[in-house]
Parts: sequence; C-alpha cells; structure tokens
Amino acid sequence: MRIIRKNLKVVLFLVAMLSFSLSYAQVKTVTGKVTDADNGEPLPGVTIVVKGTTNGTITNFDGDYSIDVEEGETLSFSFIGYTAQEVVVDASNVLNLQLAQSVESLEEVVVIGYGQVKKEDATGSVTAVSAEDFNKGNITSPQDLLVGKASGVVITSAGGAPGAGATIRIRGGSSLNASNDPLIIIDGIPIDNNDVSGSSNFLAFVNPNDIESMSILKDASATAIYGSRASNGVIIITTKKGKAGRPLQVNYDMKTSVSSPIKYIDVYSGDELRQIANSRPELYSKETYDLLWNANTNWQDEIFRTSVSQDHNLSVSGSMADIPYRASVGYSNQNGILKNTYMKRLTGSISIDPTLLDGSLKVNLNVKGMTTDNNFGDTGAIGSAIEMDPTKPVYDDSAIAQQNSGGYFQWENYNASLGVPNPVERLMQADNKSDVNRVVANAQFNYSIPFVSGLKANLNLATDYSKGEGYNNRPVISPGNISENRTGKLNDYDATNKNNLLEFYLNYVKDFESIKSKIDLTGGYSWQHFEREGSSFTRSLIDDSQIDVNSSYITENYLVSFFGRLNYSLANKYLLTFTLRNDGSSRFAGDNQWGLFPSAAFAWKISDENFLKNIDFVSNLKLRLGWGVTGQQDIGNDYPAQATYITSSPGSYYMIDGEYIPTLRPNAYDPDIKWEETTTQNIGLDFGFMGDKIIGSVDVYKRETKDLLNTVTVPTGSNFSNTLLTNVGSLENKGIEVSLEWHAIAKEDMGLNFGFNVSYNDNKITKLLLNDDPDYIGILYGDGITGVKQVTRVGYPAYSFFVNRQIYYPDGTPVEGLYEDISGAGGTVNGDNNDKYIYHNPVADVLMGFSASFRYKNLDVSASMRASIGNYVYNQIAAGASFDQMYQIGYWKNMSKYLEDSQFVKRQFTSDYFVSNASFLKLDNISAGYTFDAMQGKMVPRISFTVQNVFTITDYEGLDPEVPGGIDNNFYPRPRTYMLGLGFTF
Amino acid sequence: MNCNMKKLISIFTILISTLVFTACVNDLDVTPKDPDVIMAGNLNDNPEYMKQVLGKIYASFIIAGQGANGGADISASDENFFTTMRALWNLQEITTDEAICGWGDIGIADLNTQTWSPSNPFLTAVYQRLGLSITYANDFIALTKDNTDADVMQYNAEARFLRALAYYWFMDLFGNPPFTTEEDGVGNFYPEQIQRAQLFDYVVTELNEIEDLLPDAGQGNYPQADKGAVWMLLARIYLNAEVYTGTPHWDDCKTYCDLVINSGAYSLATDYRQNFSADNHYPTNPEMIFAWEQDGINTQGAVGTTFIIQSSSDPEYIDAEVYHDLPSNPNWNGNRARKNFMNILVDTLATYGGPIDLTDKEFSSVEDGRVFLKMKQTIDIPSPSSSGNYGIGVYKFTARNHDGSRPANYNSEFACTDFPIFRLADAYLMRAEALFNLNDVPNAVIDINRIRERAYGSTDGNITASDLDAQFILDERAREFYYEAQRRTDLIRFGQYTDGDYHWQWKGGVYEGAATSNHLNLFPIPGDEVSANNYITQNNGY
Repeated sequence: MRIIRKNLKVVLFLVAMLSFSLSYAQVKTVTGKVTDADNGEPLPGVTIVVKGTTNGTITNFDGDYSIDVEEGETLSFSFIGYTAQEVVVDASNVLNLQLAQSVESLEEVVVIGYGQVKKEDATGSVTAVSAEDFNKGNITSPQDLLVGKASGVVITSAGGAPGAGATIRIRGGSSLNASNDPLIIIDGIPIDNNDVSGSSNFLAFVNPNDIESMSILKDASATAIYGSRASNGVIIITTKKGKAGRPLQVNYDMKTSVSSPIKYIDVYSGDELRQIANSRPELYSKETYDLLWNANTNWQDEIFRTSVSQDHNLSVSGSMADIPYRASVGYSNQNGILKNTYMKRLTGSISIDPTLLDGSLKVNLNVKGMTTDNNFGDTGAIGSAIEMDPTKPVYDDSAIAQQNSGGYFQWENYNASLGVPNPVERLMQADNKSDVNRVVANAQFNYSIPFVSGLKANLNLATDYSKGEGYNNRPVISPGNISENRTGKLNDYDATNKNNLLEFYLNYVKDFESIKSKIDLTGGYSWQHFEREGSSFTRSLIDDSQIDVNSSYITENYLVSFFGRLNYSLANKYLLTFTLRNDGSSRFAGDNQWGLFPSAAFAWKISDENFLKNIDFVSNLKLRLGWGVTGQQDIGNDYPAQATYITSSPGSYYMIDGEYIPTLRPNAYDPDIKWEETTTQNIGLDFGFMGDKIIGSVDVYKRETKDLLNTVTVPTGSNFSNTLLTNVGSLENKGIEVSLEWHAIAKEDMGLNFGFNVSYNDNKITKLLLNDDPDYIGILYGDGITGVKQVTRVGYPAYSFFVNRQIYYPDGTPVEGLYEDISGAGGTVNGDNNDKYIYHNPVADVLMGFSASFRYKNLDVSASMRASIGNYVYNQIAAGASFDQMYQIGYWKNMSKYLEDSQFVKRQFTSDYFVSNASFLKLDNISAGYTFDAMQGKMVPRISFTVQNVFTITDYEGLDPEVPGGIDNNFYPRPRTYMLGLGFTF
Repeated sequence: MNCNMKKLISIFTILISTLVFTACVNDLDVTPKDPDVIMAGNLNDNPEYMKQVLGKIYASFIIAGQGANGGADISASDENFFTTMRALWNLQEITTDEAICGWGDIGIADLNTQTWSPSNPFLTAVYQRLGLSITYANDFIALTKDNTDADVMQYNAEARFLRALAYYWFMDLFGNPPFTTEEDGVGNFYPEQIQRAQLFDYVVTELNEIEDLLPDAGQGNYPQADKGAVWMLLARIYLNAEVYTGTPHWDDCKTYCDLVINSGAYSLATDYRQNFSADNHYPTNPEMIFAWEQDGINTQGAVGTTFIIQSSSDPEYIDAEVYHDLPSNPNWNGNRARKNFMNILVDTLATYGGPIDLTDKEFSSVEDGRVFLKMKQTIDIPSPSSSGNYGIGVYKFTARNHDGSRPANYNSEFACTDFPIFRLADAYLMRAEALFNLNDVPNAVIDINRIRERAYGSTDGNITASDLDAQFILDERAREFYYEAQRRTDLIRFGQYTDGDYHWQWKGGVYEGAATSNHLNLFPIPGDEVSANNYITQNNGY
C-alpha cells in the first residue's frame, strides 16, 4: 500500500495558483515563526521552500526563519511527522504558521488494485508497511524488508548466500502443486515471479532503498480484482518518487558490513575419527584403519570465512520545471561467508511524473534497471565439508595428486572413486558465475476526461525484460563424482524472460449528497503476455566422444482480463465494495479458458456512529466483512491441456530402419485441466484507542481451495506418464491475525513505538484423489536414498512429516532400528510406509513479530524480533550420521557428532527421532543511529550501526531452526552481520 | 496545442481499445513454440514422425526418457534406477541365488531377502513403466490403425509385438494387470483388471495375428522385431504356460522353438561371450534374435547393460576400466552372485577333484567357457547389506567387443552392448525342456549338448541321457542365462523360488537361506496403483 500524504485542497489550490503565477515579481524578505499546532512550542528544522524553485531554508532552534520571496509565490512548509502546508505569500512580511501533527488515519491513502482508496474507507484486509518500519541492516532484497512486519506473512530466506531469494507465504499456501507465491505488483506492473537462469531472486532488481512502501492485500475482497493470480495474496510495492515543489535533495549513504558464520556443525576431529576406527574392530578392519592419515583438518574452517560487504546508494530527487523526478543509483558488493561466493549488483531507477494539460493528464514514467554479477561457487562444498575425512590434509604432495588433482587431496587417487570430493577443491575450483540484467519500465497515463466531472481514464503500458547468462564450469582436475567423470565440464546457459502489459481502465466517482451516497466505479481490461526462453549447453573439456548436452526451451502464455469494481458508501459510515474479474488464460482449453472471480465486502465505521462519537477512548472502530473467489493458473506448464509429442535429444535415440533417429514421445496431458478456485471469507475489526495511540486490527479468515491441482499417480494405462497434474483435491486454511501498534511516546524530541503482530494458521487437506480412497496413504515425498519422510494426506496439513515411531531405552536413547509396528503386520517396520505415522509438519502454528523503536533528540534505536512456534524440522544432517557409513567402499567419511547421542550403526532415515521441534525466537536486527544537526548549510550527516541475526533462542540442535521446506540438509548458513552505515542528506 | 493533445489522446485511447479488444481473445489460443514439440494433430505431416513414435515404444523399455529435451518418462526419485529393464533385472535376479545387491537404497534389501512390500519402488517402477509402454503402443496403434502404407502397417504390427511383450512381463511378474488396448483413449479413466489366464489367451492371439505382418526371421531391421522375435515370445509363454494358466503347453513351446531353429536365420555364436559384448547385435552376432539397443553415443543411460556392468564392478576385484574399458563413472560395486549359484556354474568336483580351490580366485581351472566369475574378499556374504566386496563377482557383460577391441561408437561411460532378450541358445534350451517334458529325452540331450559343446569348446562337457533330469535343465539354464533377467521365472517354473527345497544364502533374510511363502511367486500390485484405481484388486497374500 502506498501512503500518500495528500491534501486535496492544497493541491487544488496550487493548480489554481499556477495559472496566476506569472503576474508580479517583487522580491521581499518574509520572516516568521513555525510552531506546533497542539502545544504552541516552536518547531526547529522545518523545511521551507519557495515552490517551483530550489530556494529554501530551515527554521532555527526557536522555530524562526527568514526567506527572500516574491509576492504571489508559494511557500511550502514541511516537517517529518507533521502535515505539510503551503501558503501563498501576500503583502505581509510576517508569516507565522502552525503545523499540525499528522493524524495518519485521516490522510492515508491506500493503493489498491487499479486505484486507491482512503485507508479509512478500505473494506478489505490490507497491511501497510512503510519505509520507516522496514527492517534495518544489510538488506539486499525487498522481501527482507518485510520479515516479521506483517501478520499472516511468512518470509523465509533461502539461506545466507549473497543475494539469495526468499519465499513469501501469505496466510499459508492455497495450492499444493501450483505456485504459492503472492502476486507482486511494482508501480502498477504485475511482475513475473519466474526467475531467469542465473538469478537467485526475482525481486533483486528493486533496490530496497528505493522502496517507499509495501502493502499486503490478504483477503479476497481486496485481491479478487486480480482474479486468477490472487489466491495467494497480492503485494503492492511503491517506489519513492519526486515530490512537486520540493527543492533538490541529494541522499547518499554507504554501508559496510562484516559477516561471519555463527556456528559450525559439530563433527569429529581427525584424532576422534582415528580413535573410533581403532575402537570398533567389528566395523572397521585393520586395513581400513590404514587408510586414515594423521591430519586434523577442520574442513568447515577451510571453506567459510568472515566477509566484508559494501553497499552504496545515491539518490537525487526534486522538482524541475514543476516536474517531480527522482533518480537513484545503488551499488552492492556482497561477499558470502562461503569462500568464492559473491554478488555484485548495480541498480538504477528513474521516475518522472509530469502533469500536463492543466492538470488533467498525469503521467508517471518509471524505469528500473539492474545488472548483477553472481558468483555462486559450489554450495555442495558445505555438505562435503561435513563428510570429508578430517585425517586428510587439504593438499597432497604425492605425485598422483599433483598429476591428476592439481595437488588437492582426492580419494579417487586412492582407489575410491566415490569418495567425498575435497571440499576446498570443490568450492575454489568451481567457476559458477552469472550475469543478470533486467529492465522494468512503464508509462502510466491518468486522464481526467473533460466535461464529465469525476471520470478518469487510466492507461498503463509496461514491459519487463530480463536476461540471464552464466556458466558453471569445472576443471579436469576435479574428481569424477562431481565433474562428469574426470573430463572437466563446460556448461553455459542463458535465459530471457519477457513480460508485456497493457492495462486500461475508466474510473468514475460521484457524490450524491442528497442521499448521502458516494459511488466509485472502475472498469477495465488487462492484457499480459509472458514469454520465456533459454538454452543450456554442456560438454566435457576432454573430447572422448561424450555427447554434448544441448537443450533449449521457449514457452509463452497470455492472460486477458476484464474487471470492474463498485465502491458504494452511505453516510460515510457504511461501505460496500463489489468486484468482478473475468480472466482468460491461454494455459487452458475450451470451456475452461475463462474464469469468473467475484467478491463482495462490507465495512461499517462504527466509531462514526453517534453512540461512539462521544467516547474519547475509542478513536477508530471499523468492522469489515469480506467474501471473494480467486483463482490460480500459475501451474508451471504453459500447455497442460494439449496433446503434444516431444523429440528426444541426442543420446536418447533409437535405431529404426537401420538408423539412429530421435524418438517422439507423447506427453501426459489433461484436456480438462482448469483453474484452482479459492473462496475466502474474512471478518476483520480495525481499531484505534486514545487518539490512535494504540491502533490495530484483528482478522479471522477461512480459505477453501477447490479443484486443487495435484500431481497424482494416474491409473496405469490411462495416460502418458505415471503421474499427472489434474484438478482433484481441496484444502482449507483457517486462521486469525492480530496486529497492534502502540505509539507510547510521541513528542518532539522523544518517540517510542512498539509493534506486535501474531498470526495463527491451520492448513488442512480435505480431498486429494479423483476417487475417495479412505486407505489412500497420501502424496509421499522423499528420495531413493533416504526414503519417504513427508506426506500430504487428507485431514492433515500439507507436507506433514511421515516417519516411523522410534522406540527408546529407559535412559531415553533410541533403540537402533526398533520402531513401533503401527500396522501390526509384522515384518520390516523400518522404512515401511504402512508403519509410518504423521508427526507434525514444517509450518509454524503461530508466528509473532515484535518491533520497537525509540528516538531521543538525534538518537534513534530500533529492533525487530520474531517468534515461530510449532514449526518442526527433520534434521537430515543428523539422520545421515551412522558408524557404518564412516568407512564405505574404500574411503572414510566424517559424521556430525549427533551420532554421539544416537550411536546408530546404520542410518535410520525414517525415524521420528530426527524430527525436532524447531520453535524459535530470533532477534533479527538491532540498530542505532545518530542524525547530526545540519552542518555547513544543509548537509545532514547520519551514522548508524546495525547487528543482524543477533541471537536465536531454540531447542533445535541444528545450525538454524529456520529451514526452508523443513528438511535441514546443508543449506547456506545465515551469517551474523555487523554493519556500519554513513549517510548524508543535502 | 492543448486541444491537439487532447484529441491525440482520445484517438490514441480509441485506437488502443479497439486493437486490444479484438486481438486479446485470440491470443488465448496458443500452440507450443518449441520446435521440438509436435502437436498430436501434426503427426501425419512427416513420415519420419511415424518411425520416431515407434522408436519411442522400443526405447521406453531400455532408457529413461527423452534426455535433455523432455526428461524422464515417469516421475521417480532416480530416472535411471527405475527404467524398465534395470528394475526388471533387479526383480528377476537379486531376488534369487544369481545376485544380491549391497546398496542401501530403499527397496534393495527387501528384494535381496524376498521381503518386499507393495511400496517397493522397483516393482512400482516396473509396473508403471510396462503400463506406460503399453499406453504408448496403444496410442500408436490407434494412430496408424487405418494407415495402408506398407511400412506403417509393419510398424503397427511391431507396436503390437511390443505391447504383447509388455503384457507378457506383466503376466509373469504381477499376474493381473490393468488392461487397455488401442480402443481406450487417454485422460482420466480407470482401466479394469484382466486375469492372468485371460491375458495369456490375449497375448497368444495377438502374437498369432501379427506373425504374418512382420518380416521373416532375420529379415527385419535389427533391433526391430521380426517373426523370430514373435516365435521366441510365444515359445517363452508356452514354456511357462502351466504357471500362468495351470495347463502346460509343451507341444506349442516346441513348435515355436522349431520354427526359430529351423528358420536358418540364426546360429550359435562361436564365442559365448559375444552375446554379452559390444558386438552382440544381429547379424554380426548370428545368435541374437531380439535385444534392446544400447549405444555409447546414440542410446545412452546408466541403464541396461551399462548398469549390469558397473553395478557388478568395483575398484578392487573387477575394475570396470580394466575389465570393460568403461572408466567413466565406474565401479558401483553393488551386484555379485551368491555362493549357491557359483556351485551350479562351477563343477568343483570335476575341476578341483574336491572342494573349491580358494587360491584359484578367477576359476581359471574351470573348463566351462561361461564362467565369468571372480572370488571377492570372501565367498560368503556376511550380511544382506554387506558391500559388493563379498561374494562372487560377475563380469559376464562387457563394453568391449568380444575380441577385446573397442566398438565403433565407443564411449567411456556408456556401453554399446545390447540387452539380450531372445537368443538362439534359449530356443535350444526351451526345446530341450519341452522335449524332456514330452518324454523325448534323447532329443533333449542333443539340444543341451549343442549348448554345452559351445560352452566347453569341445565335447568334454557333453552329457548323456542318464545325466538329464529336471534339476539339470534348471541348472543348465542358470549356467547359460545367468545375469540375463530370467532366473526368477525359471525358479518359479521348477517350484524352487519360494517354498521349494532350494534355499540360497540370505533367502528369507536368513544366512543359510529359508523357505518363503509361495504368494511371493507373484509380486504385489504397487500400493500407488491400488490407491489410484478402484478396479484393482491386490494379489493374494499381500
């Protein structure tokens, strides 16, 4: 949501003034005092600008000012936290002014789909987060700004890699197989969530420093105008713009941050491994002991580092010839804590917002560009560093290692071709880089149609182009099991995503004062085309008739939509909203191509009723009721309903009529595939007490998805694969969200604010199969090595853990391989799906976010904290540790010391012993800043210090309880970061 | 100026509106832009497409999918693990005395010890992939049903052969599969189950119908099916008829073996090993009747013979680079034979005059030329999950030509060796078994000695009528066809797979081997299938 501090009357007045501004030109000096309208105290530091010029000044400590100005010119007075005012200079030479503290709820405007509405008139569930509330620290992606800031929104970063993306889930996912990402709209452009190859974050093109506000549309009455893309919520990002009448303002800040690993996985040292090898002759023979060397290498130490990163941002904004503009450049050089990883990114943005035709045509032009160099290294080294034998050195002087392996120790030089690859070689010799460029541009025209008062036309033309190019090469010295068989590897790839948008709508607003009614009607259509193409080429460095792997793809889809909205308000107390969208998607065929998505909402401003008007304690009370249907068509395949055949690539030919020819395979398809439909009901209450010192809201919702797209096992013989994506299931999310803000102190030189949000979501699958088989085990997830560990089953949350129930000795240690025979069928219990049970799931039941900020004079301090309760994690690092795996087919392997607790000889991947409660409390960041008084004229320096990832309180034994997807398996650890920031505004 | 701009904007707005409203709806009818994707409606545009769709049915048995273009045919945790022939090889071999696998992957241990459940991924894969090959064939048969082009009519018959072959394996492994033909379309429907005896009749009828539509034996374009392949499949089905239907068909078995042998199209390879070498294709190898093509350059995958070779190689005893010229991604060290099988192949009394000579690691004293075995750390296997370093190593299949040279399409990772399905030796041994059951022992002995003379390179290994009994036939088949994915079927036919008297090491999960329940003679229908299709009834005992 975008909050525009806007005073309509002043703007109108201004427009009127413009036409008169050519008259006199007589310079004089105006003096005056600016005071607080509430308490009459003088206001120092108020910016006063002669509108349309760069001429300006600020008030001194006594609130006094003096400025040279011509009669008839306009002076604009602005000060943070106060409503700006503009005053036309008349004949008088003294101009005293009172500035009122801004009472936000009266002025805030919420950007909603295809338009905006006063916040007090919003009927849907919308959470706004503006720049001052964003997370602080070494933040390189927009998602990170929001972590913990809004109820019902879960943002989980993919890990600690520089520039890593994050998944966003609003009110739990509404899909299983289709996308659960919210629709993201940036300055009016719905963004393609699909990353191009070589990019690790599809939002990276937006410099977080350019963002003015983000708003989250959560319930269907707010989102349904986006129809088929709105089932997972909508996030609208508004970037900073220049403001009319402001003088040139230049902002520069730089941040230097130091990041380091918080802790390592505890593994055995070389000495300990030798001791184990010696003490268990039943497991390790004398010959195998001889394969141990005498080093004590800490492999994790060898691959991680303390890294230094920098971030520079320069922005210029102002108004030139009455045209507001803003331009910014950002440069970020992020070095990962894993060696040989970095991200270097340059972003730029320009926005120009001219108003033409006597104010009747408003134009917004935005261009954002990004170029990023990524070095991904080889994150596989993280797992290798845990498993690599600590008795081996990094480098090996032997002739064979010098000759074959570039001097690195490698097991394959010692007859163990499957041995753990040397983590240092794996990381440092990886040449895995990409270069990603993206440009997003749009032109928006808002035209007040003459002669029809209240009618406006809006046209938005946008294009989003991204291109990624990269390579992932390995030298010949790399061992065979990470590089195609000791032949080295050259792999190049490139990808291009194009997304073009045309949207047009008409908006009509009319007041019917006689019946105390107001209508606001919007209708329009939208056309959007997505095209993705790319290719990849892999070959070995040594030509030994290995087939090159050369692949490419090209795919596109269109969305065509008609939409409308009616807002009706009666007596400014009863608000009704209806929306309707008719979406056509090229992904579906025949009758399924079009879908209709309606919504309705009602809001009652109870505090405006007479019976509450006189109760001072209640400053705002609004009840919201909403219902709506949204859809989902982002199913990962652009042609799921069409009967097609695909040609095989070289290497997958067959000999027919004496020649090797490519084969043509019929692809599985579902001619009847259609949208998922999610119906949401929402009841919300917004409140403000004690003059909005305490504000907040409570929302209760229920979301039911039907025609859930699920990849199901098809009956053998019925389709061209063993599984098919089809509309078979349904699921339900129910939840409650509370958010509270307490502006405890709001004084001129002191402020104290607290924010708190809590959300509870319950996800349950209600149907999964074409036919209801009560014995259906569910959709199983796992792999061939570790077995099935998760299930999506009717009656339970999606992706629940599905494990064997461990039996324990009286002292609490697990009995290896002994599990409860749940099916009662006897036989092998271990790993048998019939003997597994559902044991918790990776998603938290309750999430909380806390934030606090304090300012005293020039000093400000803020902190954000997050709690997650009831999220469980399967610790695959622990589950992978067993004594029999320490020595394997010719090589030794290290293990995590979780093994000390389990003492397992064999791996027990399916034991519930490895599923742990990973509830946590994290202090995400704490930040302190000092803004100096203006120096040398106008320059305002600021210094800040931030610690990110300060502490985590959890019972979980792994490195980090916050694990994407709930399976903890060597992901890039999130570092602790100390950051020093310096900023200048002038 | 302002007026003009207003006009301009109005015109622009109207223009855009008309443009978009008319264009937009048509935009929704897209077709794939990828030149590698062919719409179903365009298959008749190019005669090459017919060959390519037929080629897919063949390829679906041996490789995982379309490579980088379209990926694997089924979704599974490992595309190569779960190809038809690789998974089928596991079902037929590691559940018997011929092999045991030391890997820890889910499902392997259950097969080693005959303790599988309906969720075993290998049997799920075989079931789903056989069904998929049938569905591909049904589609192609329907597509070409009315085509009168001579080539296409032959392709149509080949597709029916491949469908019959898939149904044969279904009948042998699972008994009662879901039954579909070209009459069934594609979409969301539930095929009905066919009973084993009815399926037997269906397959026989199909094969009889297509016999005349295929080229004469040896006249087809290898590796495509011709009459020889049809006859061999019929002989194989009749050989096992009693298992499938309760009624033996020894006469019919003999009839089709006669057709193969008397066709003159095939002869035994002089060197037994040629059947398992890169040059094992017909007619270079005159013994090969039908096989799945594999090629180092064109038909690749960690599947089929590459899988057999690498899974049986290890760095210490049988190094794939040394033994097979396959240095890339080598030595997976999983499969090896159990001691009991060694005792069948190695006649210790004749060779050593007593117990086995443990110093003769490579069995170099053995006269039978079919011995491609090597002793590993110990002959006994200490536990079902012991590494591949224990037991009897097998290196029968190789990526070299039979004379040790490199094949033309050599690749350091993927073998060119075709996966044999039917070879002439099988026609002789099937006929011998039929003759034996028809009480024509003298002629059975002649057929068996033909095989043994090739094996020994002389008549030293020849037997007489008094040597011949049922056990000898079963053992001779093991000696000739070990590691060729036939053992389970043979043991069942002779009543020795589960509850008979023959127990090999770790059968039933017991070191010295134990009887298992005879319901295990059929694999269970995968749990996934039972859930997906209400018409499916699980096999007895599961």
